[in-house]
Amino acid sequence: MIPFLDISGLYIGYSKRQVLFENINLQLHCGKITGILGPNGIGKSTLLKTIAGLLPPLKGSVVPEGFPKDRDLCAFVPAQPWRASNFSVEDTVSTGRYRYTNWLGLENPEGKRIIEGVLKKTGISHLAGRNSADLSDGEFHRVAIARALVQDTPLILLDEPTAFLDIANKQATVLLLKKLAVEENKGILFSTHDLSLALKHCDLFWIMTRDKNLFYGTPAELNDRGIIDLLY
Amino acid sequence: MITALLAGMSLAVCGAQMQTLFRNPLADPYVLGISSGAGLGVAFFVMGSSWLGASNAPAWLTNLGTAAFAWMGALAVMLIIVAASKRLKSNMTLLILGIMIGSAGSALIGLIQYFSEATALKTYVLWTMGSFGNVTGNRLAIMAILCITGLGISFINIKDLNVLLMGEEYAKSLGIHVSRVRNRIFLATTLLAGSVTAFCGPIGFIGIAVPHIARMLFNNANHRVLIPASAILGAGMMILADIISQMPGSQSVLPVNTVAALMGIPVIIYVIFKNRAVKL
Repeated sequence: MIPFLDISGLYIGYSKRQVLFENINLQLHCGKITGILGPNGIGKSTLLKTIAGLLPPLKGSVVPEGFPKDRDLCAFVPAQPWRASNFSVEDTVSTGRYRYTNWLGLENPEGKRIIEGVLKKTGISHLAGRNSADLSDGEFHRVAIARALVQDTPLILLDEPTAFLDIANKQATVLLLKKLAVEENKGILFSTHDLSLALKHCDLFWIMTRDKNLFYGTPAELNDRGIIDLLY
Repeated sequence: MITALLAGMSLAVCGAQMQTLFRNPLADPYVLGISSGAGLGVAFFVMGSSWLGASNAPAWLTNLGTAAFAWMGALAVMLIIVAASKRLKSNMTLLILGIMIGSAGSALIGLIQYFSEATALKTYVLWTMGSFGNVTGNRLAIMAILCITGLGISFINIKDLNVLLMGEEYAKSLGIHVSRVRNRIFLATTLLAGSVTAFCGPIGFIGIAVPHIARMLFNNANHRVLIPASAILGAGMMILADIISQMPGSQSVLPVNTVAALMGIPVIIYVIFKNRAVKL
């Protein structure tokens, strides 16, 4: 069985009085890349954070099925990750291995190899020794993705990973996410406003509409049903 | 000299942790109201005992009572902050709460001062100036145990502090129990700042300035470097302040608090002007 996250009867929001979105029933599978689309303020980030366990669900549940129990379930990449200045890229990425490093946060040789591999995969090996504060937004976003990758989780959730990137970097980021889903069987879920990019590369769409409906399916399916037009 | 060494290490390490926890370059042991809590404790003790007619009590009792009340004051403030931190999600709100508690403490101290006798007032004012001179023997031993415990906890905090520097949300996404870590940092900082304040009086500016000097010198905010560097520089700076305060070739001793302030303030001003270094 492919491990999946079972989301049932989920109510999201910051407080009981202010429910953003009601009764969400979905499944998130490993090995697939899923895009969340919807207007600003509809609750895409809130949904991501609730699934990632950063916000408590107001009602309902998010239950992992068939995942290994000894690892973190999902890594989260925020829309605007905080940087620590005077902190090298390598050290920043290394904090993602919190579970695996010793009490001082030092790496064993295997950990160093893993970090090297991830830096290469995300194309930031040349930045390893740089101060995070000196990087461009696009560069640091890749550092944040690398940091999530070394966490070695079966699921990776990203909040608008393409928002501040130029066209080439948008493409590169989404291709990297796709590669992770296909080659490493990771479940990728990200919110985005880049419809054309998402149409091209996502296996599945979750579309949150203004009238508080959530549609689920492959991009082609949703297009045939005319649901993608609801985004406009 | 050992007292100065301990005090310098403790205040600097405490300041470095506060700056990271609150992500605020001007945070120091005093922003949480720890020092004014201690001050309030001392004010109660010194001026209260004079009301009770206990002004003839032996000096050792007064000394020990001062330290004990200072510690209790600091602890009381910390307990309030920890209780509040369970309800307040953001560190910024906590910081504001700390400043408010600090102001309330100062106001209460002012009130107590207004109603107290001249001799008691003098004892209190002397305490606020800070001194290492009367921390010897048993008192030094107690202070050393408390400070070393606090420093030990600070070293355990290193890994979590590094993650906190990148935001609480990120820490949470790594599966860290942020409130537990926060309480551990509060425990360390109260042990450090509370003990130093209790025994040596409130000594400002070392806590703010030294971590910035450490960041500038080593160009590395990783707490694996920052915490030990702050400890060493804090000790050095405090010993220097102690030497200056004893004014070689003179009989009189300057208040250590004043010397530390005069040494620390230029650093803070430099940090403010060299804006790059202020970023955390």
